[in-house]
Parts: sequence; C-alpha cells; structure tokens
Amino acid sequence: MKLYLELIILLPLLGGISNALLGGRLFSRRSSEFVACAVIWGSCAAALTAAYSYRSPEVVEIATWLSDFDFKAPLTLYLDPLSLSLCLMITFVCGLIHLYAVGYMRDDHCYVRFFALLNLFVAAMLTLVLAENLPLLYLGWEGVGFCSYALIGFWYSDPKNATAGRKAFIVTRIGDIGLGIAIVWMFELFGTESITRLNQMGNLLPVGIVTALGLLMLLAAMGKSAQVPLMVWLPDAMAGPTPVSAQIHAATMVTAGVYLLMRMFPLIGSSTTVSAAIAITGALTAFYGATCAVAQRDLKRILAFSTISQIGYMMLGVGSGAITAATFHLLVHAFFKALLFLGAGCVITTLHHEQDIFRMGGLRHKLPGTYWPFLAGALCLAGLPLTGGFFSKDGILSAVWRTGGMLYGGLYLVGLMTAFITAVYTMRMLLVVFGGPSTPLSHQAVDGADLTENKDKRMVSGVGPLPRIMEWPLIPLALLGLGGGLLNLPEYLGGGLLHSFLAPLTGHEPTLPHATELLLQGSAAIVALAGTATAWLRYGGQRRSLRLSEAQQPARGLQAFLREGWRVDQLYDLLFVRPYVRLATLLWQRVDEGCIDDNLDRTSTQLGRFGNMLGGLGQGRVSLSLTGMAIAAALMIAWLAWMTA
Amino acid sequence: METYLFYILAVVTVIGTILAITEKHPVHAIVHLVTSFFSLAAIFFLLAAPLIAMFEVIIYAGAVMVLFMFVIMMLDPGRTDQAGRPGLRQWLLPAILGVIILVSIGVLAAGYVTAPHTSSAITVREFAVTLFRKYGVAIEIISMQLLFAVVGALYLGRRRAP
Amino acid sequence: MIVPLAHVLVLAVILFCLGLICTLVWRSNVIMMLIGIEIMLNAAMLVFVGGACHWGTADGQVFALMIMAMTSAEVSLALALVVYLHRRRNTVDTDEFRELQDQ
Repeated sequence: MKLYLELIILLPLLGGISNALLGGRLFSRRSSEFVACAVIWGSCAAALTAAYSYRSPEVVEIATWLSDFDFKAPLTLYLDPLSLSLCLMITFVCGLIHLYAVGYMRDDHCYVRFFALLNLFVAAMLTLVLAENLPLLYLGWEGVGFCSYALIGFWYSDPKNATAGRKAFIVTRIGDIGLGIAIVWMFELFGTESITRLNQMGNLLPVGIVTALGLLMLLAAMGKSAQVPLMVWLPDAMAGPTPVSAQIHAATMVTAGVYLLMRMFPLIGSSTTVSAAIAITGALTAFYGATCAVAQRDLKRILAFSTISQIGYMMLGVGSGAITAATFHLLVHAFFKALLFLGAGCVITTLHHEQDIFRMGGLRHKLPGTYWPFLAGALCLAGLPLTGGFFSKDGILSAVWRTGGMLYGGLYLVGLMTAFITAVYTMRMLLVVFGGPSTPLSHQAVDGADLTENKDKRMVSGVGPLPRIMEWPLIPLALLGLGGGLLNLPEYLGGGLLHSFLAPLTGHEPTLPHATELLLQGSAAIVALAGTATAWLRYGGQRRSLRLSEAQQPARGLQAFLREGWRVDQLYDLLFVRPYVRLATLLWQRVDEGCIDDNLDRTSTQLGRFGNMLGGLGQGRVSLSLTGMAIAAALMIAWLAWMTA
Repeated sequence: METYLFYILAVVTVIGTILAITEKHPVHAIVHLVTSFFSLAAIFFLLAAPLIAMFEVIIYAGAVMVLFMFVIMMLDPGRTDQAGRPGLRQWLLPAILGVIILVSIGVLAAGYVTAPHTSSAITVREFAVTLFRKYGVAIEIISMQLLFAVVGALYLGRRRAP
Repeated sequence: MIVPLAHVLVLAVILFCLGLICTLVWRSNVIMMLIGIEIMLNAAMLVFVGGACHWGTADGQVFALMIMAMTSAEVSLALALVVYLHRRRNTVDTDEFRELQDQ
C-alpha cells in the first residue's frame, strides 16, 4: 500500500520535474507529451491498485520532515474512502485532460512549460488530497495555487492574462491567510497537526473556539473554491488555456476548499454556526453564479460562473452535513464540467478562438463529435432526470430538506430556484452555440479558410479539422457524467455504492422516507424540465435568430448587471483596490519620495557642498592659508589670555 | 615732556600705518609708511636706542622703502590700480582677528607689571661689545644670509634668453 | 624708562595687528602684503627695543639690528620674486600663483 501511495504522488512529480529539466533539450516533443500523459495514467493505475487492495483507512508514513520539539509534521499520507475516491477521480480526469491537451497545445512552442506545470499541479493536488497532517495539506494547497497562477498567466505576453493570474493568486491568498492561522492555532490548541487525531478531539473544546476555527477554514475554502465573497478571480482565470480551465478551475483545484471542509467536518461540524455559515455561503454562491451565468455571452465565462454555482451546491451539501452527497456531486461535477470545458475548447479551437456564443451557431452538424458529448454534459449540468447531475444535485437538495428548520427551508428554496436558472442557462448555451443555421464564421472556420479577424495569432496555423485526440476524451467523460448516478443511487433504488463506501467516514446519515425522497426528486425534475422549456421558448427554433439580433445591442439594466457579475469587481475596486492604490501612492510619493528620499537628497547635497567647501580650502591659495594661520594664532593667543586672566 | 612726546609719536605711528594699509595706491602707501617709520625711529630714540633709531631711518625708511618704490614703479602701476581696494567684507574677518589678538595681548600686557631697571642708559659702546662679543656668531650667520639673498636676487632678476 | 613697558607693548601689538590685517586684506596685491610683513617686523623690533630699555641690557637692541638685517635680506629676495613673477604672469595677485599646489 505504501508503494502505491508513493507512486500516486511521485509519478506526476517525477514527470513534472523531468519535463522541466529535460524537456526541450533531451526529449523530443513526442516524448515530452508521452511522459506527461504516461505519468498521470501511471498514477491512475496506482490509484486503482490502491483502491483494489483497500480494506480500511490507513495512515502511511513516508518520511520524517519538519520535526522540532513538540511539532511534528512528517510526510504522512492518509487513505480513506474520501481521499481514495477523490484520487481516482483526479487521476482519471486529469489523465483525460492531459491527452486532450496534447491536441490542444500542438501548435504552441511553450509545451514543455505547460506540461511540466500541469504535471506538477497534479502532484500538488494529490498531496493535498492524501495529506494526513495539515502542514502537508498546506503544501499541496499552496502548490496548486502556484500552478494555477502560473497556468492562468501561461500566455503571459498578453498583460491581460498575466493580470488575471495575479488576481487569482492574490484573491486566493486572502483565503489562505485563514487556513494558515487555523493551522497554527490548532497546533497551539491540540499540540498536533494530524488530521485524524484532530478530528477526534473536536468535542474537547468550547464551541466558540471550534466556531472560530471553522470560520477560518471557511475563509480558506471561500478563496480556493471561489465562493462569495472571494469568487471574483474564477471568471478571470479563464484567461488560461482551456485544458487548464478544465483541469484546475473546474474539476480539481476549485473543489479543494470543499474537500478541506469535508476533511475537517468531524471537527468543525460540531458547531451549528459553522454549518449554517457554510450552507448560507454555498446557497448564496450557487444563486450568484447561476444568475451571472444567464447573462454571459463568453462561452468560457458561462462555464466559469456555472462552476462557481455548482461548487456553491457542494458547500451547501457540506453545510447540511451531507458529506456523501457533497462528495457525490463533487465527483459527478468533475466529470461533466471537465467534459463541458473540453467541449468548449473544441468549439473555440475550431472557431479560431472565438468565444462569443452569439457569433457561433450551427455547430451541431459541423462538429458532431463534440456536439453529442457536450449535449450529455449539458443535460447533466441542467440536472435533467436520470443523468448523474440530477441524482447528485438532488442528493444535496434532499439533504438540505432533511436538515429542516426555517433557515434550511429557505436555503432549499434558493437551491431549487438555482436549479431552475441552471437549466435555463445551460440550455441557452447549448441552443445558441450548437443550434440554428451555420453562421458565416463557423462555415469558414470549419472549412479551414483563414480569417482576418483572428484574435489569437499564436494558434492560427493549422487550425482545421479537430485532432482526434481532442474529441475522444469527451466520450468516457460523457458516459461517466450520464451514468454517474449509478455511483450513488437513491435508497429506494437499492441504495448507493458511494454511500456505503463513505459510511465509515461519515457515520450513519439519516435517510428520508422513500415517498418524501420521490417527491423531492419529482419536484427537482419538474424544475429542471421547466427551466429547459423556458430556455427552449426563448432560444429554440426560429426565436434564436431574434435573440441573436438582440445581442447586437449593448446590454442594459439587469442584463448588464448580471453580465458584469453583479458588479462585484467594481465594488471591490471601489472598496479595496482604489483606497489601497491611493494609500500606496501616498506612501510612495509623499512618504518615500517626498519625505525620506527628499531628506536624504538634501542631506547628501549639503554634505557635498560641505565637502566642496573643505576641498576649496585645500586648493593652495596663499590668502586662505594665511587667513587660516591667522585664525589659529588668534585663537591660541585668546586662549592663552583667557587662561591667564 | 618726553612722555607726552612718546604718546604723540605713538599716535602718529598708528595713524600713519592705518593710512598706509588702507591706501589704494601703493606709492601713497609707501609715503605714509615712511612717515610712520620716522616717528617709530623717534620712539626708538626715546627708548634709549639711538643706534637702532638711526638704522631705522637709514635702512627701513631709506633703503627698504626705496626698494619698494622702485619695484612698484617698475611694474605696471595701472594694473595694480585696477586691482583696487578690497571690499568692506574682506576687511571684516581680518579686523575681527586683529581685535581678538589686540584685546588678548592687551589683557596679558596690562597684567604684567615689573619694576623697570633703574641703571644708566645703554651706551653705544656697551651695544657694540654685546654685538661683537656675545653675538659674534650671529653676526657671521646674518652676514652670510645677506650674501645669499644678494646672490638669489641677482639670479632671479637676471635677464633670460627668450 | 619714560613710559611703562605695558604701553610700549600695547603700541607694538597695535602695530602688529595692523600689519596682520594688511597682510590678510591685500590678497590681490603681493606688494601690500610685503608691506604688512614689514609693519609686523617693526612691531617686533619695538618690543625688543622696549625690552632692552626696560631691563637696561643691550641684547634687545642687538636683536633689533638682527631683525633689520634679516628684513633687508627678505625684502630683497621677495621683491626679486615679485618682479620675476610679474614678468611671467603680469599680475601681482597671490591667488594666481598656485604652481606649488600638489595636484
């Protein structure tokens, strides 16, 4: 088991390092790509073997590290159902995305850096998931943050991309402060950093401290998982290459916050305040993301806001104490959101990096290989019955319902409303992008004719029919997304696989009566269908062209408000960025330049003048020498007279 | 009466010197200075040093001052005129220094009171004996110095081949 | 001794200071500086003569004579130098002569 766990982490790390050191010099392009993909699949195989030989939760110490006095944080890995299922998901999805990236990056000459960072990211993410103690988890946490920063700004020659990377890094850093404080504080409180032991000691502390710890971790999760109010970085993070968006900003890294909360839930879940705060944050974020996604016209931004919204659902599930449901949604979401991003990447590549959905159309016939998997992903996202997304989302909603009470009742309604909006924007996206007649743009692009309005010169050459390798990873993802429900079937269909698998971890979660459950699922299905119908009424068939002509006008009112993400960016700009810039400018111009530098300048000028004066005295002028002599003589005589008199 | 004469001569000496050092034209300054030296010679006479008084008139007021006069006239007087008198500011620091020294030594001198020697005046004979008996070596050295000065002056003043 | 020694000394100091002032002020004219030096030397001679009178010994007068001889030598050399420099530079301003400065 130790070997498997080591291999899971070390293989991607090895791939990243060898690519970084040898790629481009020793490796040919093919072998570089091969190494990058092979290590991930090797890691996936190791994870599968570990799953096969898994019997019970296991702690494996690999090496000692960071040991000082009472403080011990060895390199210890912890395999339990939660981390195992996440490992399987991460290695599998990342493996597919790596394959896809081979096709996507085929014209980019910076592929070495790309694959090295991608592999490094996977290693860091697996460290985060498998870590048994908090410092190691923090190492992975910061590792994925760094890789995310480097990959968002991958095409750094465009200042916009570099700024987006910085924004992501800085905003998540705000959350990381919370985690840092929590880690140190927990050591001070418990004298240990081991997650397993911390989780057993939650009831030793007063509720107030647990609440504070929980809120700090919630802050960390807010930053990493792009929850309200720290969600502003995720839409901008779409500046990175599409495989990066799929891998980091949809499937894996952004769920790290949720994972942290699930991991520490035995400790922090004892505080109802924390649970409520997590649930409220989740519901609010879900609603926020969905409403913003409705108004977007950039394909990747729609998906980004939808990711925010779906992670909100997971947080809602965690806040309701439904770890199983949250994990279930996390897994299924990883499948279908990666699928949607990869499909979007196919579309965008085909259209010469055109991302405006209102300039697309008719792609159903041109890109059937992309269309059908994308359709499957959209159905999952919209939560149409019998897809994986339907079951997982319903699991969360019924968990919220089950918790009961005024607060959770309200949150349930919010969740239901969000589900409706989700269905609307998903179908809107699907219909606008793939439906309708072919637009001139898509015609030319698919025919391979060169366009004058290419936005991105790097990728122009050779964009013609999609490479096969970009389309076939969509198929297993689509199958997993559609069939994801099988992982955790509702009780009345025989009970869930995941539910029993996670049972040792979460304890016995109460279940609803079958009738109630059926009722809840029925209402969720009706809501999803209603949303789909609404979208069809607005964007389907002939009305699509009407909307297209409407889209020529600049957005107004509510639409503009939603498109700009509730204007949160402007608000933060006004509240934080501008005062900060002003303060920095003040410190720079007034304090540093005006006060400190100026005084130093003046001092140096004075010293220089004084030096020149002294130098002038030594210039050998007879009169000066005489005067000096006379002054000295006068002083000596005066002193003599003073002493005598 | 001799006492008053001393003070009168002292005043004449100081005034003559002041006029000499403030005079713009060097020739006039020399004339004032000669006046000052004459009265100083008289003071020497009053202080029982007739021989020194004589030398003062012959060597100082006579030879040295005439030498100065020659040099000033040899050089271009117009240019020395143009150089002009120093401004008031240039007088300030030297004047302060002068006053400091004056006050300091005045304080020292006023506090120095000893009874004067009451013996007879120094005769020329006594002077000559002291000069040649006691300070014979000094005379030799001084005469050699004069010789060197003459040689140096001749060397500096000779006409060079262009 | 017709007057107290202190009065002679005060007169000598006044003369000395005037000579010093002359030397310091007339930097633009080396001849006037030399005149200042002569004045100072005269003040010194006055002190010697006054002292000789005060104590009734001839030594002071002898040294006055020595000073006079030394002054003659000094003046002859200095004026020769002035003539020489004036011939080379056509000026008597002391600040113009800086060849001896180490540069």
